[in-house]
Amino acid sequence: MIYLEVKLPDIPGSLIELIKPISQNGGNIHGILHHHDKKINNTIPVDIWFELSEELIEISLENIKKDLIKNNIQLVKISVDSKNKILTFILTGHVFDSDITDTIKRFDSKNIKVLELHAKFTEVDEISSVLMKVEFPEVMTKFELTNEIEKICKEKNLFLIRS
Amino acid sequence: MCKAMEVKICLIGMGNVGKSFLKLLKEKGDNFRINFNFVCKLVAIFEHDGALINNDGIDLDNLLDDNAKMRNNQYWIPKVKAQDLISTLDIDICIETTPTNPNTGEPALSHIIEALRNNIDVISSNKAPFYLQYGKIKNLAENMDRLVKFEATVASCVPVISIKESLSGNTISRIRAILNGTTNYVLSRMATEGISFSVALKEAQELGYAETDPTLDISGYDTAGKLVILSNELLGWSKSIEDVKIKGITKITPHALELAKLDDYVIKHLAIAEDNKLVVEPRLVKKDSPLNIQGTLNIIELQTKFAGSLILMGKGAGGFEAAAAILNDLISIVKKR
Repeated sequence: MIYLEVKLPDIPGSLIELIKPISQNGGNIHGILHHHDKKINNTIPVDIWFELSEELIEISLENIKKDLIKNNIQLVKISVDSKNKILTFILTGHVFDSDITDTIKRFDSKNIKVLELHAKFTEVDEISSVLMKVEFPEVMTKFELTNEIEKICKEKNLFLIRS
Repeated sequence: MCKAMEVKICLIGMGNVGKSFLKLLKEKGDNFRINFNFVCKLVAIFEHDGALINNDGIDLDNLLDDNAKMRNNQYWIPKVKAQDLISTLDIDICIETTPTNPNTGEPALSHIIEALRNNIDVISSNKAPFYLQYGKIKNLAENMDRLVKFEATVASCVPVISIKESLSGNTISRIRAILNGTTNYVLSRMATEGISFSVALKEAQELGYAETDPTLDISGYDTAGKLVILSNELLGWSKSIEDVKIKGITKITPHALELAKLDDYVIKHLAIAEDNKLVVEPRLVKKDSPLNIQGTLNIIELQTKFAGSLILMGKGAGGFEAAAAILNDLISIVKKR
């Protein structure tokens, strides 16, 4: 779920300028709250919450922000519910030999929490694969998370397959 | 109806695609006259060791089944090269289907440039010139007021390049695609049968789905080239193959595929154009995703602003498939002239 706080000019038609970019970029609007009681300088604070497809969340949000700015809508706050900040990926290589505990600790140091871990291997010192599901902080983008994982993969010669 | 327009064409390269094109041309010639009011006159066929040139039109009967007949024809000129003769021909459209070096784009690149410089519209099935020198070719075509078409370079006759015109009023924000039948076949077989990469690849080779040297396919280079063409053409980017982050599929193990299944995923070799970045790599894709296609099919998902996700899927390789794309390009050029 995405929570968006904006300041809308108190003039007819301004709400549609807020809703249009959200729906045009795939947002499914769940609720809108007008704070008429907090009207200042002819602008009204409005809270709106909506859903976006998980895989398109970053690109759609960016487009929504651009469109809203173009429509002269003042953005106050955007927050993304943590349930959307989950990534599943597989690491293949000498995952155990290259110290999987260290790998998890390094994720942890960046506030990346490993929620699930499944492993497949024949011998511990042979090529193995692990599937991890991680939760990453709200402030971190999927791109930044991937960079963190790739840094470790490069160092430990692991192959990353992500969702 | 007014008299049908005569369109003079030459073909460079008579391999599988070139021959298939000529067969389709012969088969659909009447259709062009009836539906589009034009007739094609083939005036030259260039091969690596010479050319068949007849300004009155080459008779295709008996020519297609036997290469020797072409070389014994009275109009055969041995040892001439297309690049040297293009400027001397009176033609409207040059169709370029020669076997081409994937790292240099030659000789197709030179053929394309030479044709454009001589005021000839171009259709090519060769992708290398376009993932290496897209800007140069497009600029030259624009400067010469010529058309250059290359639908067959990506997913053969799946109309992913020509869809651009239908989406002129829309905005494409992302492309995700499977553009190589070999890698998709290998990964599909590994997933369904639990076999290793090498066994699945051998099977693909035996069935003719993979080349004897499959390096360009399994390394992701072939897919990367196609992704560059799509991103430049559909997203308006100016990328070259050096801009693509490429990972192949050789490191995918049966274990990795089994793990993916645990969370309802499959592993697919995806080509992705997003946020000004180009990536070709194995990715986890949800089992119920449209991208979870099997076998040698190609699929392209265009994320658009107003229509949402558009999916194009179909056979991405083959002589007649590429030839059909060339014919579409031919009709498209004639309609614009």
